[in-house]
Amino acid sequence: MSYLFDPDNWEWLWTGNNFRFLLEGFAINLEIAAIGIVLSLVLGLLLALMRISRFRLISVPAGIWVDVWRNLPLILTILYLSLAVPGSWRDAYEDAIPGWFPEALHSGLVLGALLALVVYNSAVLCEIMRSGILSLDRGQREAAASLGLTYTQQMRFVILPQGLRRMVPATVSQLITLIKDTTLVTIIAIAEVIGHAGSITSASAFTGAQAPILQVFIVVGLLFVVVNLSLSRLSRRLEIRERKRSGTTTERVTGLEDHVALESDVTGR
Amino acid sequence: MSELWGVLEEHLPEFASGLWVTVRLVAISFVIAMVVGTLVAALRVAPVKWLNRVGGIYVEIFRNVPLLVLLIIAFSGFPRAGVPVSQWVAGIACLGLYTAAYIAEALRSGVFAVGKGQVDAALSLGLTYPRTMRKIILPQAFRTVIPALGSLIIAMIKNSAIVGASLVALPDLLKQTRDVASETFQFDEVFFWGAVGYLLLTVAATLGFRYLEDRFAVRR
Repeated sequence: MSYLFDPDNWEWLWTGNNFRFLLEGFAINLEIAAIGIVLSLVLGLLLALMRISRFRLISVPAGIWVDVWRNLPLILTILYLSLAVPGSWRDAYEDAIPGWFPEALHSGLVLGALLALVVYNSAVLCEIMRSGILSLDRGQREAAASLGLTYTQQMRFVILPQGLRRMVPATVSQLITLIKDTTLVTIIAIAEVIGHAGSITSASAFTGAQAPILQVFIVVGLLFVVVNLSLSRLSRRLEIRERKRSGTTTERVTGLEDHVALESDVTGR
Repeated sequence: MSELWGVLEEHLPEFASGLWVTVRLVAISFVIAMVVGTLVAALRVAPVKWLNRVGGIYVEIFRNVPLLVLLIIAFSGFPRAGVPVSQWVAGIACLGLYTAAYIAEALRSGVFAVGKGQVDAALSLGLTYPRTMRKIILPQAFRTVIPALGSLIIAMIKNSAIVGASLVALPDLLKQTRDVASETFQFDEVFFWGAVGYLLLTVAATLGFRYLEDRFAVRR
């Protein structure tokens, strides 16, 4: 305990640019997460629609695809894809990435990690969205069809707006998991917050003394707590407001890992 | 195709020992996670405000910090503070305590699903609070949350790979896969078998919990 709170061991925090350097690393995690979130949501919705398709030729392959990726450890996928992505794809990625993107994302190495994050999370989100859609009463679809709406119209105006609302808590908790999982890209040597923290604890050129590992990584952990906690609070707020507005208790949809936790948060009991 | 089988034949011992390490890691961590998770859940539903708060802080910290950061704190951080931590202890403790936060939340929602009337009834019969929890509430809560525990143990199998990939480097399935891959350079084949190993575990867990669910689960 005395080691933990010894002021000497916290001096690094306000020495030099250490804390700023950590934040810069953390920003890269958040940027990777942002890209991952957008792509996973889009691809996840697409996969969910394929899975509930009436044509088995579409729904069965989509089902296999989703079940395989969501049952594999993300870290295994990251390692494999970062090795397996062809060099030409990497070059294409490096050419295609807009110049205003942060420096750390310019390297072709990032492509494999991003692909893995998207493939895994879109599979998990697909399952959440699918159960959101399937939890709706059949009558909704039948009523829409009998009103003469086409399949696309049924989905767009009747099914998706209701189904997607139900899956908000499960989705948000999956996105929190995604944010935590961005730390895994450090394994393929992308300099994000873990990498930056690592160099603070080893580099002595700037500060003269190296920062203690324990304290540095506690600060890294706290950064994640702050961001993830505000995200789950925000989603809870939205949920409560939505419920007040519609005056109903919506059924919640079960997701993976985090859903249980958030579910009880939302009910506020 | 023959290469695919060749790799498995030649490196089966590595894959098998990796799989066994992963199984042990997950099994021991799961026990820890259940014990700690139950205690934290009990704190969170206890009729004392500050105990609730303590449980809440535990959950918010362990649920929101990446497992990799926990592992680094335990395995590299603690030794600097004079607390030596071995590979296995770091892996089991981090994976267990991390999952405990999720289990606590699942159990908490299970406890609330049982209903306050039963607590009142048990207390008015003269049972003490811990006894009410142990005899009346928790047995029912566990049965309600069986499906949630199933998805948590699958998440745990997947998360256990982080232990092997991090600097803790327990020789689990992921570590062995990586080592064999860098030895043979047959990435596609080696990672294929690594993936098959993990799928075996997750599918087995899915089937096992489906059985438990049919047998014991209470739908509410």
